[in-house]
Amino acid sequence: MTIIGDILLYLLTGAVYWWWTANLTVFGLSPNIIFMAALAAAILARPVKAMAYGFLFGLFLDLLGSGVFGAYALTYTLMAYGVYILKRHFDLIGGFSQIIAALTLSVLTMLLDQSLSLIFAKLNPLELKAFLVEPFLNAALTPFVVYLFSQLKKGFGVL
Amino acid sequence: MNREKDMANYALVFFVVLSALLLLFPSTKFAQTARIFASYSLYPSLHYGAKYDYYIRNVPENFLNILKTDQENRELKNRIKELEVSVKAAEAAEAENRRLTGEMGLARNFALKGAWARVINKNPLDWYGAFFIDKGSRAGVTLNSTVVGFEGSRLGLAGRVFEVYPYFSKVLLITNGVSSVICAAPGASFEGLAEGRGTWLLKVNYIPEGSDIAEGMELVTSPGGLLFPQGLPVGRVARVHPKESFMNFITADVSPAISINSLKEVYVIKRELPEDLSGLSEGAKK
Repeated sequence: MTIIGDILLYLLTGAVYWWWTANLTVFGLSPNIIFMAALAAAILARPVKAMAYGFLFGLFLDLLGSGVFGAYALTYTLMAYGVYILKRHFDLIGGFSQIIAALTLSVLTMLLDQSLSLIFAKLNPLELKAFLVEPFLNAALTPFVVYLFSQLKKGFGVL
Repeated sequence: MNREKDMANYALVFFVVLSALLLLFPSTKFAQTARIFASYSLYPSLHYGAKYDYYIRNVPENFLNILKTDQENRELKNRIKELEVSVKAAEAAEAENRRLTGEMGLARNFALKGAWARVINKNPLDWYGAFFIDKGSRAGVTLNSTVVGFEGSRLGLAGRVFEVYPYFSKVLLITNGVSSVICAAPGASFEGLAEGRGTWLLKVNYIPEGSDIAEGMELVTSPGGLLFPQGLPVGRVARVHPKESFMNFITADVSPAISINSLKEVYVIKRELPEDLSGLSEGAKK
């Protein structure tokens, strides 16, 4: 049941991301639902599952994107591991700490993905306006996504 | 706790290696095909007109052909929509051309000189009362000029110019409640007064009792009327009403010679009118 719940959560998150980016972008900008979901999974789940979520969410973005294949998968895997390390030293249950973590990790993941794209394919996928705005959108919405995921965890045993 | 830490480290190594493999060997046909399939299915608009040489590398040719066919199909559908609009416009222009050609042919054989004008405005509240035409005093239109309409190969009296402005004029239709035309039937001995009723029918009054008026008879403008040239078709008798016991004349319904409410162009006859008529007040019956 847990596996089915995880698969459903993964597909649901992908569907929401797809719908949001297709219909709710403002000036070409929208929060990165997948990033927030990967971060929420990293905060709430055990480390192995968190990294699996990060890898698979990254793979989803790689499938949809035009950058180097595997860059997001690697980035979000590393992010999940980083959050696992962070959790041992910082409290990530509070909303404020989640906002700070989302803001910081958004910028770091963008830079890492940009670096991987430049190294492996000489591509430059990062847009300046996305780099300047998206971290704030992610930070603003991450506590809500974490709360939603935590409720799903309590109610259905996913994550 | 240590076990979880070990598992986390193993998972990290596993997923990092997997990601690195994907990064290092990105050109596998399967990965690229799956990727373009997913992105094209979810975001087809991303690919319109895009230069995706890098993006579609190593994707099988037959799959690319499907994508290109889909894009071509969408472009052609848009093109069809544009062409449908063009066809409708061309059909309207062709119909207008046919109608004008027919009317011009009639006008050439028409003895009275005048000018063509286009009906530019009709008031829905006064549909059978008046309309505006796009010719005014600058085009030589004068007050009370006769206005003739054409319908197919038929011509008929439409009304008279009621108000004149430099670039447009207002035409008082014969169906207007204040319009009246003295008319007669060719070869018959009577005359009557065809009056507008604000509907598609005229009413002819003052036909002497015992006149040989009959349904289907054509009525034309009478030589006795000064305002309109004689001999212009006014309409056809639709119904003759029986004489009332208290009246000494009979009446009849007349349907206009042309469908006045569907006119698009009219012919304004230019002719010298007696000076008294050129100052005829608005709405006055002659």
